[in-house]
Amino acid sequence: MLFRRSDVPLKGDASGRYLPWLAAVMVYLASLALVCALTMNRAITHWQEGLSGSLTIQIPHDADAAGAAGAPERLERVVALLMATPGVREAEVLEPAEIERLLRPWLGGAAGLDDLPVPQLVSVSFDPAAAPDVDKLAREVAGVAPGAVIDTHRAWLGKVRDLARSVQWVAVLVVALIGACAIAIVAFATRMGLSVHGNVIQLLHLIGARDSYVAGQFQAHALTFVLRGGIAGLVLAVGTVFLIGQGLRGSDVMLLPELTLQPLDWSALLLLPVFVALVAMLTARVTVMRTLGRMP
Amino acid sequence: MPSSPAPQVKAIGKDLVRFEDVALRYGAGPVVLGGVTFHLAPGSFHFLGGASGAGKSSLLSMIYLARRPSSGRIELFGRDVASLTRLDAAMMRRKIGVVFQDFRLLDHLTALENVALPLKVSGQRDEKVRRHVAELLAWVGLAEHLESYPPTLSGGQKQRVAIARAVVGRPSLLIADEPTGNVDDRMAVRLLYLFEELNKLGTTIVIATHNESLVARFNHPIVRLADGGVRVERAQTGAQTRPSKGSAA
Repeated sequence: MLFRRSDVPLKGDASGRYLPWLAAVMVYLASLALVCALTMNRAITHWQEGLSGSLTIQIPHDADAAGAAGAPERLERVVALLMATPGVREAEVLEPAEIERLLRPWLGGAAGLDDLPVPQLVSVSFDPAAAPDVDKLAREVAGVAPGAVIDTHRAWLGKVRDLARSVQWVAVLVVALIGACAIAIVAFATRMGLSVHGNVIQLLHLIGARDSYVAGQFQAHALTFVLRGGIAGLVLAVGTVFLIGQGLRGSDVMLLPELTLQPLDWSALLLLPVFVALVAMLTARVTVMRTLGRMP
Repeated sequence: MPSSPAPQVKAIGKDLVRFEDVALRYGAGPVVLGGVTFHLAPGSFHFLGGASGAGKSSLLSMIYLARRPSSGRIELFGRDVASLTRLDAAMMRRKIGVVFQDFRLLDHLTALENVALPLKVSGQRDEKVRRHVAELLAWVGLAEHLESYPPTLSGGQKQRVAIARAVVGRPSLLIADEPTGNVDDRMAVRLLYLFEELNKLGTTIVIATHNESLVARFNHPIVRLADGGVRVERAQTGAQTRPSKGSAA
């Protein structure tokens, strides 16, 4: 108990009052950015896994009456060809009702498909390890159903992945900027503390304190206060993520990734305040040692 | 009081403090001290005298390494202070106890914590320290004020806390700047006896004071500052205390 109190009364100065609040805000923002980066990463993986073993064949609508009459046969020939192709697991013809459901977000609920030149769609899933040669398959499909197009989703997936990666990098940049801000704020608060408590520090030196002893006072202060604020910021961030997750779950917005965290993500998130506090501690130590080291 | 012809006290063995032609000036200001030469032997006891403004506090501040001289050479514990690194200086300061004229107590710490500070700084955090510090504070008459904060103490009480802090680590060299300035004569004599007890244990003592009656009462040589220089006056014979070992007396 005798030695528990800090010799340098940092608790009572401005840095003691504001540092926890600043730490809370920084950790809150960094947590949200981190969640964003982690969610995007998992979404990209999820999209890639979901689409890597599939493709879609579009058989265009034939306006010609005779052509329209032959549509069921063309579809059968395509399905038969697909089922005979090595590696193909399943070829599912999408029913008009299903196609209507997929188009509803764009065309509205009132629109019927009867009057629209909607193509027939076949969803094909295959073994990614034994994927068929898409170019060869396209030629064979065109042979039995002229005008049919194979969509491997690669172009779409590429664009979405690029966008997701950009968002992810922005999130990482935000975390890095917040880290830089944390370092600057702690360095400034430490310098201010050194200046305000110059007489106490001089006394400590005169009774034999080493620079590292003085640094220890500042680093303990930075660690405690930033950790305290950081935990508060993390709690707020988790609450925010929970609310956003609930909001996304209730919406029917397609493509948006589900905002749920895996155990590893939680570990990263929970370690964030500890990491920020350790960075603050190190910053305080380096600042004190460098400042005092320049003194005669 | 007889004066020695040369401004130096002859040392027995290696000198603990050596000032060789030391001068001090603050920035571009006038010279505060000039041509100061004296040697203090280990285990000696000296008063530092001189008129107000003669430079007593400045001289002491160079001994406890708060200031470096503008010119000249200072040796402490056999080492040239100019060659000390910051770490060396910190280690050397642990061997020096200082009673500051303005006490320099930390207001947010209790009397007990203030006195224990040098022990904490040097890494002694044993709970036995508490008992030792409490005993020392009791000895200087502050047993009832262990948990008092400096702003609640009188000038004399603060001074005794400052003295307790200076001696708690059993320093090899004790420097006191007007340590009896705020206490009554009875307490002043008592504190001087405490310093003599420490001196008996081998601590070298330097006390700056202009309390001539106190100086006269104790039989120790005086390093007197005058006109920016220094002269040493030997102790009077027949004073009430026995001479301290290792001094020039």
